[in-house]
Amino acid sequence: MISRSEVIRMAELARLELSEAEIVQYQEDLNRFLRSGAALRQVDTSGVDLITYVGRAPTRMRADHVEPSLPQAKALSNGPQVVDGYFRVPRVMEDAE
Amino acid sequence: MNELAQKLSTGQVTSVELVEYYLDQIRSRDGEIGAFLHVDEQGALESARAADARRRAGRPLSPWDGIPVAVKDNICTVGMPTTCASRMLRGYYSPFDAEVVERLKQAGLPILGKTNLDEFAMGSSTEYSAYHVTRNPHDLSRVPGGSSGGSAAAVAAGLAPWALGTDTGGSIRQPAAFCGIVGFKPTYGRVSRWGLVALASSMDQIGPMAATVEDAEALFSLIAGGDHRDSTSAPQAEYVLPEEIPDCLEGVRVGVPEEFFGNGVAEEVAAKVKAAVKLLEGLGAEVRPISLPHSTYAIDTYLTLVTAEASSNLARYDGVRYGLRVAAADAAAMFKQTRTQGFGHEVKRRIMLGTYVLTASHHEAYYQQACKVRALITQDLENAFRQVHLIVTPTTPSTAFRIGEKQDPLQMYLSDQFTATANLAGVPALTMPCGRDKLGLPIGVQLMADHFQDGLLFTAGRLLERALKEAEAVGQL
Repeated sequence: MISRSEVIRMAELARLELSEAEIVQYQEDLNRFLRSGAALRQVDTSGVDLITYVGRAPTRMRADHVEPSLPQAKALSNGPQVVDGYFRVPRVMEDAE
Repeated sequence: MNELAQKLSTGQVTSVELVEYYLDQIRSRDGEIGAFLHVDEQGALESARAADARRRAGRPLSPWDGIPVAVKDNICTVGMPTTCASRMLRGYYSPFDAEVVERLKQAGLPILGKTNLDEFAMGSSTEYSAYHVTRNPHDLSRVPGGSSGGSAAAVAAGLAPWALGTDTGGSIRQPAAFCGIVGFKPTYGRVSRWGLVALASSMDQIGPMAATVEDAEALFSLIAGGDHRDSTSAPQAEYVLPEEIPDCLEGVRVGVPEEFFGNGVAEEVAAKVKAAVKLLEGLGAEVRPISLPHSTYAIDTYLTLVTAEASSNLARYDGVRYGLRVAAADAAAMFKQTRTQGFGHEVKRRIMLGTYVLTASHHEAYYQQACKVRALITQDLENAFRQVHLIVTPTTPSTAFRIGEKQDPLQMYLSDQFTATANLAGVPALTMPCGRDKLGLPIGVQLMADHFQDGLLFTAGRLLERALKEAEAVGQL
């Protein structure tokens, strides 16, 4: 069972703010999902190697030569706030006392 | 589409006329269907004029030069918004074209616009779009399926001759089945994902949606191919259209897995799919029962993996470089407010679940276990493909459901229970219409083949399509 505090912790990790109604809803949803998937955790996988990649072709390396990259102006073109060629964000650190 | 290509090449029709025809269709019908999020009239007509000029000069870029196409709105396009049907990306314009879009442009295809989807491709009904629902052209009170519901509805309603969709657990095949069209998920690695907004990178593939198997194959041949910008794209990915196809399936062994015809499958669906299997047999294929014992775990395995990968892929939406930013006093609050207001409920639900299965204390029990069961599901298919060349199943357990009918996310997820297996194993899969239920709603049959046997699916699909038509004509279906 996922507890209420775990739901709040997951939201914190995922950078989401949940309303009271959402906390209740997601706690229920997550628990239902985990209950329905309980059989999955009963499958005997001893001796089975986990896989994360199913492509038959090996992932390939790119030749190590310089190619033009996205021009700066284009890379910045969707920036919510752009100043002097940089993305501007609100302050990250507190002022030193 | 060959007929259309022929008419273009002989000058019986121009690309401008074609594009105008589809724009007219969109203007008159998309108000009730809602297939498109953005229509690029000007851009499409401009491309059409250029295509006509090339035709006149005797230098078409491809046999399909000038035939327009619609593109799902999670695929990046220069000059048009790419929103993923999310508030997070409202007004986002990609600075580059996706590789598949570059390829369509290189073949001369004008792009009509961007089609609706469930937000960030998370859903099976297109009801989770942040902008509007899309309605099934066969019954406007029903969903078109999802997440590529906009592309499926556009093709089914004749608003576009063909379209691109994306498929992570069934998002091309399920809506294609619900809308009565053909949809194809290529072998993992066959089509570059450069410029596709990622959902679950270990499973995402871009594929064609069209009215016939032949058209889907032609569109696939335009987008397949290796790309150094997608390290998972395979060097042998190019697909050349066959010069001719055999007229029977002699020597082809077809497996029918019992697990896909059991509980929860509508009787009419099972019956029509079995009738399609009979037709394959009539074409000379040898049909035998097979078993995919771990396929019953496919949907839970898929959901564990898709939420884990999505929670990681969607971490990039932080309000810094693109998309929505909600102003706040400091960066941490800005991240949080942006994500809270930018994402819809289903996206948040999946991020929450994905975050949970990836946390250190649950990683082994949930995420790693799912990766192991994925290995078992893949082994089942490897074993099956040692005995048979094709596997035939229903594409979906039911026909299209009503808008608003599936409020329970777990019920919604079950809509992908037969399609997710192909994504987990990376194999190609085709869906095509094989009849209708009593309400007149389309039923889809799914054909799966081994890695890089995409061509066999199209051959079998074309023969089955012809056999279905003949059977329908004599009233056998």
